[in-house]
Amino acid sequence: MIEATGIAKTYPARGGGLVERRDVVALRGVDFSLPAGGAVSFIGESGCGKTTLGRILSGVESHDGGRLVIDGVDVDATDKHKRRAAFRRVQLVHQDPYSALNPTRTVGNILGDPLRRRARETRASRGWVEQRAREVLELVGLEPDTVLPKYPHTLSGGQRQRVVIARALTADPAVLVADEAVSMIDVSLRLGILGLLRDLRERLGVALLFITHDVATARYVGVEGEIYVIYRGQVIERGPTDQVIQAPVHPYTQCLLSSIPVMRGIEEPGPDRLMPSAGPEAAEQDSPGCLFAARCPLATDVCRRERPVLTPIPGTGQEHACHHPAVRSVVPVPVG
Amino acid sequence: MVLLDHAAVSQDAAVRVRGLSVVYRTDVGERAAVRSVDLDLSPGQITGIVGESGSGKSTLALALLNAVPKPGRIAAGSIEVGDLGEITGLSGRRLRHLRGGEIGYVFQASQNSLNPLKTIGKQLLDLGRSHGVDDLRGMVRDAGELAGRMGLDGKRVLDSYQHELSGGMRQRVGIMFALVLNARVLVLDEPTTALDMLSQVAVLDIVREIHRERGLATVIITHDMGVVAEMADRIAVMYGGRLVEVGPAVEVLRDPRHPYTRALIRAIPRLVGDPEAASALPGRPPDLVTLPQQGCVFRERCPLALPICATLDPAMTHDGMRGVACHAADGTPSSSEDEDRNEPIQAGGEKTS
Repeated sequence: MIEATGIAKTYPARGGGLVERRDVVALRGVDFSLPAGGAVSFIGESGCGKTTLGRILSGVESHDGGRLVIDGVDVDATDKHKRRAAFRRVQLVHQDPYSALNPTRTVGNILGDPLRRRARETRASRGWVEQRAREVLELVGLEPDTVLPKYPHTLSGGQRQRVVIARALTADPAVLVADEAVSMIDVSLRLGILGLLRDLRERLGVALLFITHDVATARYVGVEGEIYVIYRGQVIERGPTDQVIQAPVHPYTQCLLSSIPVMRGIEEPGPDRLMPSAGPEAAEQDSPGCLFAARCPLATDVCRRERPVLTPIPGTGQEHACHHPAVRSVVPVPVG
Repeated sequence: MVLLDHAAVSQDAAVRVRGLSVVYRTDVGERAAVRSVDLDLSPGQITGIVGESGSGKSTLALALLNAVPKPGRIAAGSIEVGDLGEITGLSGRRLRHLRGGEIGYVFQASQNSLNPLKTIGKQLLDLGRSHGVDDLRGMVRDAGELAGRMGLDGKRVLDSYQHELSGGMRQRVGIMFALVLNARVLVLDEPTTALDMLSQVAVLDIVREIHRERGLATVIITHDMGVVAEMADRIAVMYGGRLVEVGPAVEVLRDPRHPYTRALIRAIPRLVGDPEAASALPGRPPDLVTLPQQGCVFRERCPLALPICATLDPAMTHDGMRGVACHAADGTPSSSEDEDRNEPIQAGGEKTS
């Protein structure tokens, strides 16, 4: 559905004068593919480029290197209309349901606006807009009669996020890009939204691109999918979800997984828990070596000299970019 | 007053909350954001208060500072803090001493609670002056040491503006401000919500170490059961303004007795095992207006609701270190007047796998 090769993005330096000008490299050539109806998760710390990648894939942001093919259409080698049509198949579900909906419009209008535009394009019948609005609300588990006349502020966070998802569905997307889609939602409601995303994948065959720092939620929505671990704009490990979680080989992946809180009483810490030797501020700007070397507890000379490239591990479907890959068991282990 | 003898109460408490109710004036009359809460905070103990939005956890924490914002007010109950005694009526200099001197408070989104126009050092001096610190030089030295203790370069941090610090560093500065006047009680409101996983671990490690070194009574207020599971000695679960379950962290996690606690734990996806083992909790958390005015606050979402739950709000009953406010977990219905201890039946402690 989506084939991306060498996607790169650099934000030019702003400011000047007293502030040191330095370009921000957000993505350093990312390859990835999302099959139709598949599930892919991007995992990483804030600032790693995962959100930029999601925005590029949904056409909200441009890329300045690499090739992006959506549904067979190379978006850089086609005309405006085809590009727009291609990006319409990829819909972004925003992170913050409290600011993603216009507070002065009812749910009916929020869903009606994009539908009316489509109705004009396709010359659909008069009743189609309302009928379709009801359909998408039912798909996301909301009762159309109660929700349609409401304004966003009268809905709970979970309901708002469902409306945001319903709005994305009005475009009949082939891909939903969910960027931290549950981080602002109450814990007891989170699983409902995650379950909805999973359900839409199963029922409608919508592929899911899940961007998060929470590995457990990524696993919940796409256990049979793939995880990409991104560090400072580079994919440093990727593979089938449970393979990466249970047998990670890159120290950064291992640090991320080690940082997941242990539910004492029902879990024990993983035996090989690993922590970075320094905070994110330690990262060097222009090191020729591994981007993680300055924070890696296991870095050696070669790591500071040469940047490792993504290398497959035979028989696992897993790839890593590390000079010293080794499987470690770092995630919490259930007891009893 | 009824003499209580249970986990939420102890003799040498740094903070003693009894029968606390906080109400807010709303369009539909005064509504209780916190209702009939008993809680003790002891030195050397980390208490995790878990709850969702609208559970009253932040209101409870603000009440500890006697800082409930209008149109809210403390309607009933008492809060005793260390040597200050009853604090609900304090004002002026003694109130200022409570806020900062006795209780150090790290605000929710404390990353954004620093003044962007002043260096950290200047803000520190403001704090010292408003608290009448005589030895400002000594206080700055202490602050530098505390910052160093938390893995920051003390001198550099004091000369920095907030935008020059990362989220994790600002959070540490927040903790430094909370403790520089030697507070004995540390309250952290959602200390890690805005941080990503690795910064979260770093901040939590620091909190744990400083807590031990100084023998603080620490309170972590959060919606994240994971943070509490990792950090707390004791868990207090709030729902709709009520304290619904309290007990040693490991026991509550292993064997939750209140159906809400159980549902919360079950709603967290895990990294091992069948992903389907996680299940969602139907319904939504109540707000001040939708909060039931009668009966149990959780009954509308409760899988075990009994007829009595609609009319009688369950009082907390105790069993050793543990307490639970639930008719269904307890076997026999109890009212606020009935402080008898009831042995919890196994229904409340069934194993979930």
